Amino acid sequence: MASLILTPENQIQRLNLILNKVKNLQELDQSRLTSPPNAKSWCIVEVLEHLSIAYSHYHKKFNEVFPQLSNLQKEHNAFKARMWQKLVIEMQRPKGTQRKWKMKTMKRFEPLLDPKTLDKAKIEQVFQRFFELHGHFKESILESRGKDVATVKIPSAIGPIVQFYLPESFEFLLAHMERHMVQIDTIMEQQKTLVSS
Amino acid sequence: MDDDAYLILKNFFPNIDFTEEQERHFKSLWSLKTFNQYDFITEAGSTERFFYVVLEGVQAIYVLNEKGEKVVLGFSYTGSPSGVFDSFIQQEPSKAFLEALKPSNLLAISRSDYMSLFETYPDFYIWGHDFFQQILFGRLTREVEILTLSAEQRYVAFMQRCPDELKVIPQKYLASYLNMKPETFSRLRASVSY
Repeated sequence: MASLILTPENQIQRLNLILNKVKNLQELDQSRLTSPPNAKSWCIVEVLEHLSIAYSHYHKKFNEVFPQLSNLQKEHNAFKARMWQKLVIEMQRPKGTQRKWKMKTMKRFEPLLDPKTLDKAKIEQVFQRFFELHGHFKESILESRGKDVATVKIPSAIGPIVQFYLPESFEFLLAHMERHMVQIDTIMEQQKTLVSS
Repeated sequence: MDDDAYLILKNFFPNIDFTEEQERHFKSLWSLKTFNQYDFITEAGSTERFFYVVLEGVQAIYVLNEKGEKVVLGFSYTGSPSGVFDSFIQQEPSKAFLEALKPSNLLAISRSDYMSLFETYPDFYIWGHDFFQQILFGRLTREVEILTLSAEQRYVAFMQRCPDELKVIPQKYLASYLNMKPETFSRLRASVSY
């Protein structure tokens, strides 16, 4: 199996693409942001809230782990993801426009929002929280460039069965975000179909 | 802005004459930005906000290939322009990173102020003509070198013209710029004089 080589540059570039995409979503009408394409699906705002909930776990862990990491005295090297961690990451990563390995969201990661009651202020709050948390994510990736990241592991949000070094946790989060960006594209496509039918 | 900094800035715009008042206004458009070694000045995916003139330090502009490796497109250094120019002009997300390879001091001008220079001082159109001509000729020379010269010839041609401050940056950046493996660059450095 090919190695999964992780670099902060690649991760920053992909995170910026996602942040730009979410900024563009902010321009959408309220109805498009809050209309799920069917009764079982989330709407766009719920997807973003889910991403914020998922990141909250890492927000705390990153703040705990950084003071424990020593500074690098040289330029950082690429990081090779370990086998088991790579497998977990690849299960999240979408393949083109497909979300393989469909999985049920754990209860604690579900967005507790009622799309019917989402008003402008509440939607704004969801976007604001998303950008605040993922601004922290970006800062964490940037900070990791000057740290020895191969010394301290953190438990994943799935539980201690998966332990990540920082670059692995970043990659897991990015693959998870990319997966949900595909979901958002699907929601928007389905909305178009609903309007035209 | 101190006199040394202004001298570097003025040298970058050689044929532009200002009255005292114009000079004060021109100076006021620039701000000093300081970066540590390995700081990103501009990230891929973000939009370039400034056009820079380098006061001190070396910076590399690079894109990532499919394997995530850095492919160096160019360098900036004392007295040269810097920034991701296409992103700056088009105000579109950059495809490239601009990274400080040495601690860097740069003078920065925003896009609206940069554009206002042309409107306020028509001499800047002449500067712009000369500047873009120079950039184009530089890129053409590099393209010909990459496509026609051997690794050793590329190494010699580059080392003969590059300023000394560029020779002390990590070799992998120079190797990438010259489209060769770091091992090849290292071997040439040890065996070829220029």
